[in-house]
Amino acid sequence: MVTAEDLRNRTQTYYDDVEVGNEMPPLVIGPITPTHIFRWSAAIENWHRIHYDQSYAVYHEGLPNILAQGSWKQSILPRYLKDLCLPDGWAWKVSFQHRAMIVPGDTITVWAAATGKYEKEGLGFIDLDVGMRLQSDIETCPGKATIVLPIRGGRPVPYPFVAPAAK
Amino acid sequence: MAETKGVLSDDIRALIGVAAEKAEASLPWGVEREGLRIFTQAIMDPDPRYWDDAFARTTKFGGIVAPPIYCSYLDRKIAPGSDDPVTRAFQEDPECDGIGGVKESVDRPGALPPVPTELKRILNGGNEIEVYKYPRLGDRIFSQARYADIKARQTKDGSEMLVITTETTYTNQDDEVLCILRASIIRR
Repeated sequence: MVTAEDLRNRTQTYYDDVEVGNEMPPLVIGPITPTHIFRWSAAIENWHRIHYDQSYAVYHEGLPNILAQGSWKQSILPRYLKDLCLPDGWAWKVSFQHRAMIVPGDTITVWAAATGKYEKEGLGFIDLDVGMRLQSDIETCPGKATIVLPIRGGRPVPYPFVAPAAK
Repeated sequence: MAETKGVLSDDIRALIGVAAEKAEASLPWGVEREGLRIFTQAIMDPDPRYWDDAFARTTKFGGIVAPPIYCSYLDRKIAPGSDDPVTRAFQEDPECDGIGGVKESVDRPGALPPVPTELKRILNGGNEIEVYKYPRLGDRIFSQARYADIKARQTKDGSEMLVITTETTYTNQDDEVLCILRASIIRR
C-alpha cells in the first residue's frame, strides 16, 4: 500500500533511468469490496444501480455481481501515473478501454511498461503500455500513456505543462 | 466490429462537431477541501499534495491541488435548492436504472443535445485524458463539451450499436486548460 509518507518523499525517476521494455513499479489495490465500490458511487454521485444494488445488478441486468465503475478505473490510472512521475515529472496523457468487469473480491494490479522513449524540446517522453490486471491475469483496462520525465542535467518539466509542438 | 450505417441516421450524423455552451462545472464555491477529501479517499490516494497545506506549499503547485480528473465529476453534483432528480426519476419509473432517467431529468447548462436513438443501453467504451494543470482549492471549473465523433458498429452477434465520442475541455476561472477528456460511450 502506498502511504502519504511514500508520496511526500518520492525520489525522482529520470528519463535516463528508464529503458524500453522496463516494467514500472506496480500498484496493487484490493481485494475490492462492495464498500469500496459504493464509496466511489457516493463520492461522484453516480446513482447507476449496477454499482450498489446487487439484486438489480444480478436479477435485472444479468451481471455476476455489482460492478466497479469505469469512472473509478479512469481515475485510478492517472493517479498511478502521477505517482510514477513524482515529484517533478508529468503524467501527460493516458487512453484505455474498458474490457473485463471488476467485481467484489477482485485484487487489481495497476501496471505500466515502457514501449518507447524520445527527447523533445529538452524533455524526456516515455510511452507506456498500461493496464489494470485482475488476480486471474485478465486485463480489465488495457491502454497507452505518455509520461514526461526530466533529463539529468536538463531543464525542468514546465508547470503548467506545455505540450511539445507537433512535428 | 464491422461498420454499419443502419443506426447512424442523418440527425445523429449532424451532431458530429456540435459543441455545447461553456458552462461552470463546479458549484459556486469551486473546488473545496471536503469534496476533495472524499474524492481522493475513494481513489485511495493518500498524496499530501491534496490535503497538507504546509507540504503542498513546498511543491511546484504552491498549494493544495486536486487530481485533474476530479473536474469531470463536478457537474454531477446536485446544487442545493435545485430539484432532486433522483427522487423524480424513481417517481416516474420505479424500475429506473439510476442513471438514464436521472440524467435525462436534469436540464443542465453546458449539456450536449441528446443523441436521438432508441438504443437505450449505455456502456463505457473507453477514455482518453490529457492533463495540463491541476485545479487548486477555490478554483472555479468550467467545461465545454462537443461531439468529437459518432460511429455505427455491428457486434459479433449482429446487433447494431453507436459509439459516441465526446471531448470535454476543462478550464479554470483564468481560462487556463486543466485537462481534456475524451469519452466513448456505447449505445446498444
